Amino acid sequence: MEAPNPSSTGLFINGSRETGQDVRVGNVTAALAVANIVKTSLGPVGLDKMLVDDIGDVLITNDGATILKSLEVEHPAARVLVDLANLQDQEVGDGTTSVVIIASELLRRGNDLVKNGIHPTTIISGYRTALKAAVSYIKKEMVVNVADLGDEHLINAAKTSMSSKIIGKESEFFARMAVDAVKSVKMNATQADLAGYEAMSEGPTAIASAKKQRSKYPLSAIHILKAHGKSSTESHLIDGGFAINAMRAAQGMPTFVEGAPDSPVKIAMLDMNLQRHRMGMGVQVIVKDPAEIENIKRREMDITKERIRKIIDAGARVVLTTKGVDDLCMKYFVEAGIICARRCNREDLKRLAKATGGKVVTTLADMEGNETFDGECLGACDSVREVRIGDGEMLYVYGCAGHGASTIVLRGANEYMLDEMDRALHDSLCVVKRMLESNTLVPGGGAAEAGLSVHLDDYANTIKTREQMVIQEYADALLVIPKTLSVNAAKDSSELVAKLRSAHARGQHSEDPDDAGLKFTGLDLVEGVIRDNLAAGVVEPAISKIKSLRFATEAAITILRIDDRITLNPSQGQ
Amino acid sequence: MASQGPPGMGPVMVLNSKTQRTHGRQAQLGNIAAARAVADIIRSTLGPRSMLKMLLDPMGGIVITNDGNCILREVDVSHPTAKSMIELSRAQDEEVGDGTTSVIILAGEMLINAEPFARANVHPTVIVRGYNYALQEALSICEKLALTVDVKDTERMKDLVQSCIGTKFSSRWNDIMIDMALKAVLTVARETPMPSLLPGDGSSMYSQKMEVDIKRYAKVEKIPGGEISDCTVLSGVMFNKDVTHSKMRRRIENPRILLLDTPLEYKKGESQTNVEITDEEDWNTLLKMEEEYVENMCMEIIAFKPDIVITEKGVSDLAQHYFAKADITAFRRLRKTDNNRVARATGATIVSRTDEIRESDIGTGCGLFEMRKIGEEYFAFFEECKEPKACTVILRGGSKDVLNEIERNLTDAMQVVRNVVFDTRLLPGGGATEMAVSTGLRRAGLKLEGVQQGPFLAVGEAMEVIPRTLAQNCGVSVIRTVTQLRAKHAAAYEEAEQDGKDIFPKCNWGIDGTTGKLVDMDEFGIWEPFSVKIQTIKTAVESACMILRIDDIVSGSKKKGY
Repeated sequence: MEAPNPSSTGLFINGSRETGQDVRVGNVTAALAVANIVKTSLGPVGLDKMLVDDIGDVLITNDGATILKSLEVEHPAARVLVDLANLQDQEVGDGTTSVVIIASELLRRGNDLVKNGIHPTTIISGYRTALKAAVSYIKKEMVVNVADLGDEHLINAAKTSMSSKIIGKESEFFARMAVDAVKSVKMNATQADLAGYEAMSEGPTAIASAKKQRSKYPLSAIHILKAHGKSSTESHLIDGGFAINAMRAAQGMPTFVEGAPDSPVKIAMLDMNLQRHRMGMGVQVIVKDPAEIENIKRREMDITKERIRKIIDAGARVVLTTKGVDDLCMKYFVEAGIICARRCNREDLKRLAKATGGKVVTTLADMEGNETFDGECLGACDSVREVRIGDGEMLYVYGCAGHGASTIVLRGANEYMLDEMDRALHDSLCVVKRMLESNTLVPGGGAAEAGLSVHLDDYANTIKTREQMVIQEYADALLVIPKTLSVNAAKDSSELVAKLRSAHARGQHSEDPDDAGLKFTGLDLVEGVIRDNLAAGVVEPAISKIKSLRFATEAAITILRIDDRITLNPSQGQ
Repeated sequence: MASQGPPGMGPVMVLNSKTQRTHGRQAQLGNIAAARAVADIIRSTLGPRSMLKMLLDPMGGIVITNDGNCILREVDVSHPTAKSMIELSRAQDEEVGDGTTSVIILAGEMLINAEPFARANVHPTVIVRGYNYALQEALSICEKLALTVDVKDTERMKDLVQSCIGTKFSSRWNDIMIDMALKAVLTVARETPMPSLLPGDGSSMYSQKMEVDIKRYAKVEKIPGGEISDCTVLSGVMFNKDVTHSKMRRRIENPRILLLDTPLEYKKGESQTNVEITDEEDWNTLLKMEEEYVENMCMEIIAFKPDIVITEKGVSDLAQHYFAKADITAFRRLRKTDNNRVARATGATIVSRTDEIRESDIGTGCGLFEMRKIGEEYFAFFEECKEPKACTVILRGGSKDVLNEIERNLTDAMQVVRNVVFDTRLLPGGGATEMAVSTGLRRAGLKLEGVQQGPFLAVGEAMEVIPRTLAQNCGVSVIRTVTQLRAKHAAAYEEAEQDGKDIFPKCNWGIDGTTGKLVDMDEFGIWEPFSVKIQTIKTAVESACMILRIDDIVSGSKKKGY
């Protein structure tokens, strides 16, 4: 395959062109460079990156997707990998680093095969076959179906995902928090949702779903608030509660309101101004009689007053609005002993509305043209309290009446730490959600990859075509995960991976039932030995493993298919 | 970042070529060096023999201080790690308001002590794990060492505040400052009405019974001139405003006070209104109406017979006239925060519409109102309040810079008192707690197995930096003093061991920061709030761990999302 000289192609374009092996090598080099950047952040002994932008703002993170997003990757092929990490982040939420590493390894090996004279299309079809075999093997052999998932497994999975992160040392604490948070937002799924899940989670989960009423865990209902100060272990979850970063609008208001068991505290959530009423833009009122102007003025005040009166009469004891409240109007709330907060975040209010079973009210106008405040729109909760955190205040809403909502208040030494804790916790929440929805798990710590590698090697031997070589390479490529894990832990990777493979080979070939557990063998990176990772509690949701394999293979294929790159020169500006 | 492509091709550019990247050991050591540099800046400001720093900002203004947070805020650092260190002292300042210097020194020392491990190729996660074990152990030692104090015990509280602001510039005026801080905080403190059922276990840590809002209700007014000994805490409030009309009364006993947040002048409506006047008559009516409007409001106010009217907005000449006639003293354009304070001190409610005034809105809690002239300015004093739940602290001093420094010290002192009101546990000061933790960790560390032992012991050593710096700053032989202190603490353990019982020895020996001698803090009376110490240790260790975990610094990337 001779690469044609760009100048002799006779292509009269304003730009440069690279073809054949040149472009492939360039792409693979770029992909490897990207993978090398995130490589050291993989695994429980992975380290963090500090990213500084040109203004000097600092970002400290361990999350692959975040690292790649913040690095301005310019090479087009490398960008594919960045997008890949983003996709994984959106779809699964965790495993962003490993997906990039696998994809780049597949590319490297693919490139070597091309050099050895195998046509890219053969490699592509080989990769596809291997992927198919791998996925069906995971589903058949590796997956542990936990029909009734105990907390223990969930906590283990959350712990596994956060072990590489900054909160890894407190994983016990945060894992429990993540599990509690996700469980607290449990919703019974509607029929439409169920259909969606069937489509999304193929295979073994369908069996589980038949057995069990399916539930939904909307992570958006979990609110994460960050407040610096104290230490990370003083972070807490407000179960069934909600916290808003807002403070009472006037000092005369009470710091808490509390309801009796039969009369909960009503919360009004408004998306409108409680300021003196003013005509819309451009509306001019022309009056003849000067006395009228006084009336207009008075009326302006009264309109808002009547509105407030209606809200208070509806029984609201807490009023939250996204817009402003005049000092003028504050007094009515103060007198009625109502907590009022202004300039709340609209998104927060929407969530609170969902949590308390209320509605965000944008106008008081009703169908008859009058103004009324419907009591139905009020949310209900047990109590609302203003809490001092650090130098500021927050409103805590306890015991929301509606379906689940929870708030996690994170505390930490400084902002950078809080941001990173937020990202780490998000990953764990995603993992717990996946686990709860799919009910299946696979052992982590390189166990699944090693098992697949051994299995695919055997499988390759049954293939009589040229693809055999490709599948073997695919099998080897998967070993990059255990290898990187042990390299990061400063352990002897060759030896550990060899041990791991042999354990899996024995587990797969032996008829001895004692050896059946060997397929869960993974790495213990602290001690530098191999062990049964299922028993050790290092587990991941099966679906995330399958998805990350799929994404990685697809990305590798996309890049391998490229054999020509044309870069247009930037057009000359006028 | 450029990787070498195949021969004959240029390097493949993956990242923006403007970015710089350091990684691996180099990044770690760079971080440690940066942390060391930050800690070194403020090392000399710890303890009673501390020195001040003079900082010049770009505008030419000067700040003279020994407050750790304040110094670091002014220093313009560029290294990202140094920045993250500075954030620490800010968080500390906001959370507990004290110990901003020690948190930086401690965090810096934690990182410096990690350097040998980093050089010896110990994996950072191992160091981090060791540090965390040590943190847990240190916290449990602190808890055993803690002593509970009674907030009402004024003598003890005085000692406590003294130990905290003893290091500050105003130490000559210690007694006054301490009395002021105590009085101000205890005035502002009030019992929070608690919900009967405490919902959620997560909230229990915030379920303090007391509410102390220094920020809003203890206002510090700085008036240049006079002497430091003239500083006082009013049992009431004061603000820098003159009466609107010179004929109004300037001294009233037991005044009836009305607070408004509405203008006492004619104000147009919010809606855009145009008036078309065709008649000359109408023009007159319009003007008259405006006058009537003001008159009306004034009459509504006068009907309640207040002696003093204070509003946040303007007062028109006409309204002033009515008030002067009715013998009412009026103030205008008061700040919202000041108005809130007056409301709390006098028991008044702020009214927004004059037609809605009620008898209960009038404040009668104030015993004496008086206008006083200090320097060139007039100040309104509301004193002898019956239950002032708000107060004003008046600071006097030679120059603005001196006043600013006194204010910072006083704020620290008030924070200390507040922390004790919240959590009544105390720990010995003068490096005694740190040495006890250090000794405890050393003993516990020797029993520890595995690679973490080194880092675990390193934390213990790092804790010694506080007594060491104290000794250093007062100029005694550092090695001799610290070793003596260490021996004292070790001996206490030996003794406890000989007794056979597994009791924790309460050894309160520390360093007298002024003389450099070893003293028993129990007798010497230097204590620090538990919450501050704990926060310091936690923040220092956690941030050190965060910085140690970094192995790659990429700088120069563009800000995203703007």
